[in-house]
Amino acid sequence: MWCADTCTCRFVTLFGFEQVAYMAIVGSFPFNSFLSGVLSCIGTAVLAVCLRIQVNKENKEFKDLPPERAFADFVFCNLVLHLVIMNFLG
Amino acid sequence: MAKKLSFFIGISLVLSLCNAFNPDNPSGRRILVLLDDFAIKSSHSLFFNSLQSRGFDLDFKLADDPKNALQRYSQYLYDGLILFSPSVQRFGGSIDVAAILDFVDSGHDLILAADTSASDLIREIATECGVDYDESSMVIDHISYAVSETEGDHTLIAADDFIKSEVILGSKKIGAPVLFQGIGHSLNPANSLVLKVLSASPAAYSANPKSKLTQPPSLTGSAISLVSVVQARNNARVMISGSLSMFSNRQILSIKCPEGWKLNKKSGNEQFLTELSKWIFHERGHLKAVNVRHHKAGEGEEPGMYRINDDLEYSVEIFEWSGTSWVPYVANDVQVQFYMMSPYVLKTLSSDGKGLYSTAFKVPDVYGVFQFKVEYQRLGYTTLSLSKQIPVRPFRHNEYERFITAAFPYYGGSFSMSLIDYELRQ
Repeated sequence: MWCADTCTCRFVTLFGFEQVAYMAIVGSFPFNSFLSGVLSCIGTAVLAVCLRIQVNKENKEFKDLPPERAFADFVFCNLVLHLVIMNFLG
Repeated sequence: MAKKLSFFIGISLVLSLCNAFNPDNPSGRRILVLLDDFAIKSSHSLFFNSLQSRGFDLDFKLADDPKNALQRYSQYLYDGLILFSPSVQRFGGSIDVAAILDFVDSGHDLILAADTSASDLIREIATECGVDYDESSMVIDHISYAVSETEGDHTLIAADDFIKSEVILGSKKIGAPVLFQGIGHSLNPANSLVLKVLSASPAAYSANPKSKLTQPPSLTGSAISLVSVVQARNNARVMISGSLSMFSNRQILSIKCPEGWKLNKKSGNEQFLTELSKWIFHERGHLKAVNVRHHKAGEGEEPGMYRINDDLEYSVEIFEWSGTSWVPYVANDVQVQFYMMSPYVLKTLSSDGKGLYSTAFKVPDVYGVFQFKVEYQRLGYTTLSLSKQIPVRPFRHNEYERFITAAFPYYGGSFSMSLIDYELRQ
């Protein structure tokens, strides 16, 4: 699993800031769409970071957690996140 | 027996008073004429006959008759008042300055004529109406005077400086100058309700003809108004004239040729006074607006609320009283405003020739409580002030477009996030 490398995390947060900058220019007219766009970026980045933390073998806190379990959590949380995002997008 | 009789008479009097002033018929029929003496009734008979031939009931009374009354039991007995009593010191009966001003304030019309013998009472009434008579001096004009066999002091003048209004003076131009002998008055320029109908020529001045002038006269030229009218905000009309002899048979029929006239012709007094009295008694220039309607384009009934960016249509019917019936009023400058603190939309209504004015416009992109306002004030016409309130709501959540163009970056961002996650799962 090569997933969740640093580049992805940085790129995703950059995407979030880009949407905030777009809102600052155009105005917050469909505010629900703005929130869902920004929160999808932030949420994806956060989940990716969490997965990385949990899978990292040098991390003493999650020594007993099998990486498959971490990955399954990651997938499930992403599904929930995107369900909410798609509904809130309008 | 006498009690029963007077009871029945009282009942029938009250009943007859109830349908006397009909709001559907703006030219009231009954006019009280207050005179200094009854000789005026015969010496001014042409003017009175012209009024009576148009259907008015004239009631001639002496000004200090103690039985005079304008109203009884809070019902007005008359619809109009003519004061041809310039020298009266005190009115008889229950009439006084306050009663006359209440009469005008309740929407009734007044014709007031004064001359050099004008008493303080008459001057006070005129001042309350917005017109200041000059102090005991006559209007003299050494250039446009009428040749008179008795006096050569040029106080009988011929004036032809009329106000330019077809509503007030009729569509036919007044062919001959109007003969005038009396006092002039001045109007306060700040007063927007008073109009000068007949002004003196620039060579006229107001002074005492019998005494020598010690200083230049204070009132000169076109600032002297000979006949003025006031249209109050409740559409009551008052005519104030500085000469009682202007209404007399002698001056109406006069064919004296003043200096400067080319032919011997009858003076313009008759036409001027007839047309002006028609305007004063609301036989011309009285408008009413009925049937204000608005609806969404395509629908028939009036909604309780509009939504922003709706298309709507507004229509109103305007009629003018012709003396006997309501005829459609035709003009091209009636405007409607869609107003909330300031007019967001101002459109000129288009007329269909039969008195129906209509227009269509789009509700602005602002929500709030608006008013459809028609404010129509033209020289000589009664004011039309209509206003109808209507709320305007913003879009409901399901009335927006399905996909908003401004939100495409957010759509793109969310979908790309889900794609990234799908890819991350591989």
